[in-house]
Amino acid sequence: MDRILISLKFTLLRNSSKGLRIVGWVVGAALVAATWLSAAIASGDQVRGSVLTLTFAGWVVGAAIGPVLMSGSGALRPDYFALLPIDRRALGRGLLVSTFVGIGSAYVLLAFASAAVHALLLDPASLVIVVVGAPLTWVFAITISRLVYGLLGAAMRSKIGVEIAGIQFGLMFAAIFTGWMVVQAAVESIPALVRDGLPAGPITAVLDAFPSSWPVLAVERAALGDWTGAALLLAGLAAVDALLVLATIAALTPRENVVARRRSGHRRSARLVDGGGLLPATQLGAVIGKEYRQWTRDPWRSLEVRSGVWTGIAIGFFALVSGDYSELAAFSGLIVAFMMSLAALNLYGQDGSAVWQTIVGQDATTIRSDVRGRQWAVVLVFLPHALLITVLFILITQHFWVVPAVVAALPALFGVGSGAALITSAVGVSPGVDPRRRVGPNDANGNVSLHVWVVMILTAIGVIPTAVVVVWALVAPSAAVSVVAVAVGVLNGWLVAWLYGRIAIGYLADRMPDVYSRIRYGQVFRGQKTGVLDWLATTTLKGEQQMLARRQKERQDTISARAK
Amino acid sequence: MSAETITTDDEYALELVDLRREFGDKVAVDDVTVRVPRGSFYGLVGPNGAGKTTALSMAVGLLRPSSGRASVEGIDVWADPVAAKRHLGVLPDGLALPERLTGGELLTYWGRFRGMDATAVASRSAELIRILELEEAETLGTLVGEYSTGMRKKIGLATALLHAPSVLVLDEPYEAVDPVSARVLTRILRRFTASGGSIVISSHVMSLVEQLCDRVAIVAAGRVVADGTLDEVRSGETLEDRFVELVGAPDVDEEELSWIGS
Repeated sequence: MDRILISLKFTLLRNSSKGLRIVGWVVGAALVAATWLSAAIASGDQVRGSVLTLTFAGWVVGAAIGPVLMSGSGALRPDYFALLPIDRRALGRGLLVSTFVGIGSAYVLLAFASAAVHALLLDPASLVIVVVGAPLTWVFAITISRLVYGLLGAAMRSKIGVEIAGIQFGLMFAAIFTGWMVVQAAVESIPALVRDGLPAGPITAVLDAFPSSWPVLAVERAALGDWTGAALLLAGLAAVDALLVLATIAALTPRENVVARRRSGHRRSARLVDGGGLLPATQLGAVIGKEYRQWTRDPWRSLEVRSGVWTGIAIGFFALVSGDYSELAAFSGLIVAFMMSLAALNLYGQDGSAVWQTIVGQDATTIRSDVRGRQWAVVLVFLPHALLITVLFILITQHFWVVPAVVAALPALFGVGSGAALITSAVGVSPGVDPRRRVGPNDANGNVSLHVWVVMILTAIGVIPTAVVVVWALVAPSAAVSVVAVAVGVLNGWLVAWLYGRIAIGYLADRMPDVYSRIRYGQVFRGQKTGVLDWLATTTLKGEQQMLARRQKERQDTISARAK
Repeated sequence: MSAETITTDDEYALELVDLRREFGDKVAVDDVTVRVPRGSFYGLVGPNGAGKTTALSMAVGLLRPSSGRASVEGIDVWADPVAAKRHLGVLPDGLALPERLTGGELLTYWGRFRGMDATAVASRSAELIRILELEEAETLGTLVGEYSTGMRKKIGLATALLHAPSVLVLDEPYEAVDPVSARVLTRILRRFTASGGSIVISSHVMSLVEQLCDRVAIVAAGRVVADGTLDEVRSGETLEDRFVELVGAPDVDEEELSWIGS
């Protein structure tokens, strides 16, 4: 059973993109080398100890977050096997075991083996501790990784799962956008770290309590002759491993009731259905209401919202801990506003084949109402979060001087972003898996790499007027300039939201059937016109088709390679 | 009907003329012509992959035809879509809906989206939900995404009926619908034709089509191989025999699958 799952996993891995795999191997090897190197060049025993505990903790965190980026371990999903006549727990165990097999997992083991440097330099006899401790730490890291991924695989079935996924994506985006702040702070402090170690205090206390540090501490105990203490630490780690393994097998064991019931048990929106409701009973009101409910109830849309919120929080946090850039934390709410435009950049693709309704129900104003309603709904969903995070981080940082700038920038970003997102949604329809068949967190979109750039460029161009006055307000602060800045921000947001929305409406006017064709048939059945938007439409469609063709070809190559 | 709408022959509720759709080299719909007289209950039958859904998608304005035309009560669907779609009620097969709404919320959205008065939307939705036996799901707050296939068909039919169209185009309306609900469905559809409406359904259940429809077209490999009144098409046989005769069926050899039931 375990052997079959392992070979199945290798088969799946062979079908993944070759280029990505090679990049992964190189980066992984470099990280392992860096771990060994930092252990070797640390200036003293105590410094080496704290460097190792820190890097080991880093490896565990990396193993926990890594699978979100490359979903190797998630490829074998418990539900796939639910109908086979095999023991469920054996299956859960097999799914866990299969995670331990692979290059990434080997790297993790090699990294933990670097504790051997510590042992050799302290007392060669304590190498025994590493021989036992490194595999235990490895089991700890890999099991956590699989557990987190297992919870993420079930993510889209529970609120807590969506939240975990949101935190992971938030950290990832924050690292992409502003990781340099942390990296810079880290680079500045690495020489000091390797020279002086970590300053004793809460950080070292927390690190020492973390299980991945225990083998390092055990080596130090053994070197001092305290073999009982060393054995106790390893036994502690083994106990933690055992608990984790049991929890993970339970989490990976498929359950009968895999389809979560989201029914609330009581009637929803009774007043709306009875003819009332908060929103006006118009076409526009109908779209806003429908979209708002989709945003708050659909796990994939919620994930976009939660990722945006957590990106704001994580960037604020990075800025706070970087020291040099702590003022930036006060602007975290703007990040949430910006993330809104990324969250909504593929609305029609996300709706999937449900777009037939907009076509079949077409009248003179449906497309306008659809675009405007979607703009309003996404702003209504994100605005409260952006405001909350703005208030929170301004209170934490106490940088009240940013208030006029933020109050000017928020409406500009929300207005411009909602328009930019709708243009991109209309032009670059990129369907993922059709709504009812979605399972994983990445299922809702196709290839949206170009879309991100389009949104960013459109947003950057759209907010220029506000950017100018905000800079002015920051350079020459005065009450009058603040008032002007806020007025410009509100006006800018409103006008560009209108203008960009108008462009999207004009573009969609006679192209709704083509939107449906891209979703249902992956192609467009009409002669392409010329223009920037049409060029984008053709390019994004090509991107989509190339992605599919590339996968097809790699599969063919693998098959023919195996046939030889 | 406004003066500028393009009128062809408006004795037909739905008219597909030389409708054609190619996907690359494959011809999915090969110059299909189907004329549905007003007030008729028309059945489009054919094996899986015959091109029924593709043809109906072109007829209701979802998929651009390679060539040919389609009109609803004389109005060209592709030249004057807004006017044509006012007359149409559509139930597509296997497409998504706004999955995170309850049936009631969906109908409310749909009615208001189509510009209907809020009170009319509320009373018609309540009635449809009651008649189609979706009341329990509604009181439990069940979302459309959690509906069974049969329930989806029913809520889909409700969306098709809500704005009181005069022509219904229903793709596989009876698929996965339980026998009790099927009777309700049949009662609704018969009542619709009795009051002057026209219906086109696609199906591969011959007995159902025989029981419901007064006119039939048999589609195979993208072509209409027979059409006319039910009696004309079946010419003395059962519809199923006639269908198999026209479409052809592989013979199951005695030797094949001999292990079944062994």
